[in-house]
Amino acid sequence: MTAGLIKIFLLCLLNAAAALFLSPLFEGIMRKLRAGIHSRIGPPITQPYWDLLKLLGKEDLGSTGGAVYAAMPAITLGSVLLLAALVPMGGPAPLAFAGDLIVVLYVATMSSVLIMLIGFASASPYASIGGSREMMMLLSVEPILAIALVTGAFKAKTLALGGIVDWQVQNGPSISMAIAGVAFFLALQAVAGKLPFDMAEADQEIMGGSLVEQSGPRLALLRWAMWAKQLVFAFLLVEVFFPWPHFGTYLADLLATTVKVLVVLVLVMVIDVVNPRLRIDQAMGYFMRVGVSSLAALAFAVIGK
Amino acid sequence: MGVNTMDQAAVTRVKEAIAERTNGALLSATQPHADTLRFVIDKTAMRAAVLALVDKLQARFLISVGTDERPLTGNFAILHLFSLDREQLYVLLESFVSEQDPKIESITEIIPGANWAEREYRDAIGVHPDGHPDPRRLLLADDWPEGMFPLRKDFPYNYQPPPSENARPQMREPPAGASVIPIGPFFPVLEEPADWRLFVEGETIVGCDTRIFYNHRGIEKLGDSVLTYNEIPYLAERICGICGFIHSTCYCQALEKAAGIDVPRRARYIRTIMLELERIHSHLLWLGIAGHIIGFDTVLMQTWRIREPVMWLCEEISGNRKTYGMNTCGGLRRDLPDQIKPRLFETLAEVEKEVIALRNAVIGDTTLHARTRGVGVLTNEWAKKICAVGPPARASGVAIDARIDHPYAAYDEVPPRIATQEAGDTWARVLVRVAELLDSIRLVREALSAMPPGPICAEIKEEIPPDRVGVSVVEAPRGEAVHFVQTGGDNRPYRWRVRAPTYPNLQAMPAMVAGANIADVPITLGSLDPCFSCTERLETVDRRTREVRVYSSAELLEMSRKKARGGGVR
Repeated sequence: MTAGLIKIFLLCLLNAAAALFLSPLFEGIMRKLRAGIHSRIGPPITQPYWDLLKLLGKEDLGSTGGAVYAAMPAITLGSVLLLAALVPMGGPAPLAFAGDLIVVLYVATMSSVLIMLIGFASASPYASIGGSREMMMLLSVEPILAIALVTGAFKAKTLALGGIVDWQVQNGPSISMAIAGVAFFLALQAVAGKLPFDMAEADQEIMGGSLVEQSGPRLALLRWAMWAKQLVFAFLLVEVFFPWPHFGTYLADLLATTVKVLVVLVLVMVIDVVNPRLRIDQAMGYFMRVGVSSLAALAFAVIGK
Repeated sequence: MGVNTMDQAAVTRVKEAIAERTNGALLSATQPHADTLRFVIDKTAMRAAVLALVDKLQARFLISVGTDERPLTGNFAILHLFSLDREQLYVLLESFVSEQDPKIESITEIIPGANWAEREYRDAIGVHPDGHPDPRRLLLADDWPEGMFPLRKDFPYNYQPPPSENARPQMREPPAGASVIPIGPFFPVLEEPADWRLFVEGETIVGCDTRIFYNHRGIEKLGDSVLTYNEIPYLAERICGICGFIHSTCYCQALEKAAGIDVPRRARYIRTIMLELERIHSHLLWLGIAGHIIGFDTVLMQTWRIREPVMWLCEEISGNRKTYGMNTCGGLRRDLPDQIKPRLFETLAEVEKEVIALRNAVIGDTTLHARTRGVGVLTNEWAKKICAVGPPARASGVAIDARIDHPYAAYDEVPPRIATQEAGDTWARVLVRVAELLDSIRLVREALSAMPPGPICAEIKEEIPPDRVGVSVVEAPRGEAVHFVQTGGDNRPYRWRVRAPTYPNLQAMPAMVAGANIADVPITLGSLDPCFSCTERLETVDRRTREVRVYSSAELLEMSRKKARGGGVR
């Protein structure tokens, strides 16, 4: 029993460490790609690591006070790491249990809610605009994530993520899961805070939104949380909706999954680079349409396609 | 001199209209140049004369000039400058205002676009526009003492007023129920300090107020007190970091007209080429910044990459990427050598190819449409009333272009094609600028081919006589720049007046954002602290003693000055 717990604990740590230490690398690759499309040379792909190191060593200006407020960035990062433990990343999810799908949906929103709260707790008007935009995006995107995952649950007749993945591997592609996967991918663009949906941060409009008053280590943790989040969500997308080819050997599957995650993030970055920022009302309208269309996935699932 | 297809009937018409409406208050009517009419009228008839020009002749207000003529005539002179675009005429309405009764009728009620111009002469020479709807301070700093008028002749150019405490701009209160969102005085996407306060009700902007002129440098004062005729072009070139050549050209043309100097053809062509090159790199710069503002950094990076070879061309021609220092009174200081022509054509072809590719990419981008269509609409009617110029005017269907309305340099021989749109929104302004970009490339090419050989500078043998006036306009990338020169003794102008194109266009801004839906600004901003952007004081806590110390703004200022001085010595 204890040995089992320790094993689960170690696997959780492994997933969290992967999310922590690989996410800056993926961010670096994405930056390099953006630079390429901009006709720039761009920073070395290790630059995000240096950014974090630099920010961690800088002074925290502490412009807005409060112990809870000060702890928020660490809690935000923690919530993302918890999500990493719940999501299969190249192997089965460490924290797998019956009904974990519901928990995943809740934990997935935690970081957004926390960033939103940081915005509202800040004295800057730009941060409160950022907070409210974050909230509106969350409300627009969350139903899409839920519909997509529930489609999987409906097909596999289970509320366990692992069960859905197994079902997918055994039964191959289906129309409903393809539609759900596309909807999830479109939502990922907003979850990652990438253009055209980065209005919660919108440097040119509200100077970073919720993050405007964050500095030093706190800013580092928040940035880190965002990078880790986009990586974990990309894993979630790939594992649940596109788990093929499945080799059955751990290393081969891990490699295949990582390559697919990279492809997903490259696509996210290409969309980011070729789009201007939408206004929040336009983004909400867009996700409303995506949400309604994703209901088609459920419909197909009901008729067994 | 100059290029004009003078229409004698039009001149008569203007004279008759003014004489009729002013009812004997017309003191004199002269025609200093073929394209310039000057009317001196009694100040009580100013409104009537302005009405005659605006109603009967559709004259377009350019700028007001306030001059301290007490050393000459014992009075202040207020001059309103108009353009009759179709007739290619400038009309100067001048009135004298005595020192004992420094007031004149405001014309802002008739022409909303005269708002700032009138406040400016009030600040500068102390003549009060009577009945002005918004007589707040405009030009002078908030801590400038009352009753000191820097453009008066007895006011030294280097006077420093004593520092004052707690000076702040008079800002309007937001309407009841509205909250304020500050944009500025320093904001990431504003290149210069400008304080915009948006009044927001729910998701809608219900009004706005602004305080600008934080960057006022007293350039006009230097022009008529320290510098000489031939030094001013270099200062004029530094009015703007992007369209510097426009201002030096505009000043030189105004002075050349006032002094009756005929500029050689070749110099006119080279001026045209440099002006159009400036338009090319300025429009590319603008496109990039516009992209950046809506988060489209790919457009920024690509336009600035395309722009770079144009900068290299300018450097090859003048020695500098910007601020060429080529203009001088009577022509140019530097010729355009014929051997670099092939390279010019080559680069232009390359730039043109890339601009066309850029245009095709931009025009088909639906997300870009979503962000620009119907956004910031300037109606045709308001564009005319507020006297908007340049691409904003043309995108609202006001077909004015200084290059066509008042041909200068070599535009009479290489005429531009005017680009207009009707929608008046941001997208229309993008389209106008992209069209002008391509037209400018064509103009440079044609001017290069048609450029005649010959001298590049007129020889000026005699001293420039005093009390002559000259008006010149130049179509800058942002719109029409206006320079007015009144010659004086001492080898320097008695008065040099500059109006940059942004001056009228900025005044159109409140109408363009009014009623706009800013879905991105939620009602939660009611929690806004109106003192947010004022660093009036700073609180620090000593970590060891937990003692709170409050620094006043004066102490902070002193500390930052000390630091700046320390840095200087190092």
